[in-house]
Amino acid sequence: MASTTAAPRTGARVSVQKFGTFLSNMVMPNIGAFIAWGLITALFIENGWLNLGGEDHAWLSPGSWVAHIGGWGDYAGGGIVGPMITYLLPLLIAYTGGRMVYDNEPRGGVVGAIATMGVIAGTDVPMFMGAMIMGPVGGWSMKKIDAIWDGKIRPGFEMLVNNFSAGIWGGLLATFGFFAMSPVLDQIVKGGQKIIEFLSDHNILPFTSFIIEPAKVLFLNNAINHGILTPLGSADVQDHGKSIVFLLEANPAAGAGLLLAFAVFGKGMSKSSAPGAFIIHFFGGIHEIYFPYVLMKPKLIVAMIAGGFTQILINVIFDVGLRAPAAPGSVFAVYIQTNSSVKDYVGVTLSIVCGAAASFVVAAMMLRADKSEEAEDDLAGATAKMEALKGKSSSVASALVGGTAVATQQIRSIVFACDAGMGSSAMGASVLRKKIQDAGHPEVTVVNKSIANLVDDYDLVVTHQDLTDRAREKTPSAIHVSVDNFMGSPRYDEIVDMIDESRG
Amino acid sequence: MAEVLSAEAIVLGGSATTRDEAIDEAGRLLVAAGAVEESYVAAMHERETSVSTFMGNGLAIPHGTNEAKSAIRHTAITFVRYADPIDWKGQPAEFVVGIAGAGDDHLTVLQSLAMVFMEDDQIARLRAASSADDVLAILGDVQV
Repeated sequence: MASTTAAPRTGARVSVQKFGTFLSNMVMPNIGAFIAWGLITALFIENGWLNLGGEDHAWLSPGSWVAHIGGWGDYAGGGIVGPMITYLLPLLIAYTGGRMVYDNEPRGGVVGAIATMGVIAGTDVPMFMGAMIMGPVGGWSMKKIDAIWDGKIRPGFEMLVNNFSAGIWGGLLATFGFFAMSPVLDQIVKGGQKIIEFLSDHNILPFTSFIIEPAKVLFLNNAINHGILTPLGSADVQDHGKSIVFLLEANPAAGAGLLLAFAVFGKGMSKSSAPGAFIIHFFGGIHEIYFPYVLMKPKLIVAMIAGGFTQILINVIFDVGLRAPAAPGSVFAVYIQTNSSVKDYVGVTLSIVCGAAASFVVAAMMLRADKSEEAEDDLAGATAKMEALKGKSSSVASALVGGTAVATQQIRSIVFACDAGMGSSAMGASVLRKKIQDAGHPEVTVVNKSIANLVDDYDLVVTHQDLTDRAREKTPSAIHVSVDNFMGSPRYDEIVDMIDESRG
Repeated sequence: MAEVLSAEAIVLGGSATTRDEAIDEAGRLLVAAGAVEESYVAAMHERETSVSTFMGNGLAIPHGTNEAKSAIRHTAITFVRYADPIDWKGQPAEFVVGIAGAGDDHLTVLQSLAMVFMEDDQIARLRAASSADDVLAILGDVQV
């Protein structure tokens, strides 16, 4: 199935995907904080759960402890809901981003967070976008500056120089951010909000599914959700207490309908694997699992758009909103973040039911009309195609077809990982490096690392079979190869073959 | 600077029958070569309990932990061949190379070892070696 190499990837899409991965790597580790904020908001704000949705049902006094923590009534402007979204969440993103670009050094994160403080204080909208810019800029620039005097500091003065350079540079960046970046970012965020307002005021929000659904199956889902929708939605929440924007991409309705259609009207492997995929998608919130089913029969994108359009339309009609991003896009996450009013719950429920029904009906008609016998390995082929599209193999998807690592993308960087990163991985890396160079691929790098220091930017990870699971956790997007013999594993030759193939 | 592998540290007919004995045997040779202090042998056992040092192709490379680096006086390796392969956590170890690498020396040592033990004909030569000099002719390139 590795021979079904998909059409060459365009450079632009790869760059966008990389950018999307970068953005989601900044956001994803902090989803726990988003959830905490969402829960606190849901419980304690004036229209929250504890106040029975507020308005007519409100029973808590403006001086109550709920008002105190929620920041309303006598405590308007206080509480912890506002400070969390204004300071905590952007600073966490900035720290994560800064640390990421500075090779996982906390120092990069610290400077990124200091720098971001300037744009947080300089604007009156939540500065997610600012954090996604200033965080990495802070970390990256600190790295460049550190490189200037790397190794030239007199022994004993390292701590002094490091702390003061970070402090001075961070302070400069914060000042620059406050005066120079804030007005720009303010305009961009407000512009984005205007677009969303325009779309919802003119009731054309459902049409965004014509863009979102095709982009999703091309693996731009993270770029769209975390790069664009999360910042816009969070700003929207600041103004309106909830946002429909969080539901545009993350609602699992359309994908659920598609997978159900496959479970009933599909053939062969796609039929038998669809129920399992449904659970992973709908309850686990891993939307990637349904992408191969669409890629297998690209015209099914019509069903996805129908589902997406319907769910957004219903959410618009009911004026539904989430308080925080639903991540991952699981039905549980959606309900937990739903604004606590009966109307919102009814709307979300109907949007899931009707969105799924719409994509189910359209997909079912297409599948039944399609008389052609589906080859057994169509899904496997589509999975390979999807991995080529994504640019990396997807462990979720390979689990789906039960196949081994399929490499249709270019393998450029290989890491050998062991417990300490000292002995066995160094040996294995030397052996593999020699084999790959002998095979005429000098551009492929082979390095060795300890598992603890792995970061998810290698194409292929080789580990001892006992350690593969741990390595997989650290580098989910890489291809994983397990060996039990570091000197002469037959897997080395398979890796060389894989590289040969990926070079076409 | 002392050589990495000396003729005295080469044993063609190892006496150990278990993995622990083989580690002791390698450790004793390292101590005898003046490369490490006694405490390093304990660290070799400790290291072995975390992840097996069996590398494949009949090679095991017992060595100490990172913390035991201070017990290393100079970089050295030992070579013991066993007529009956040692049961190394279920894998057959025919060649046991004890390693003491000062600083980052172990990386270079491991790389050159890997280059030898990845070639089947080199392994066959080691298996056929009848003297320490034969072994040195093959492994003598292991330098730091």
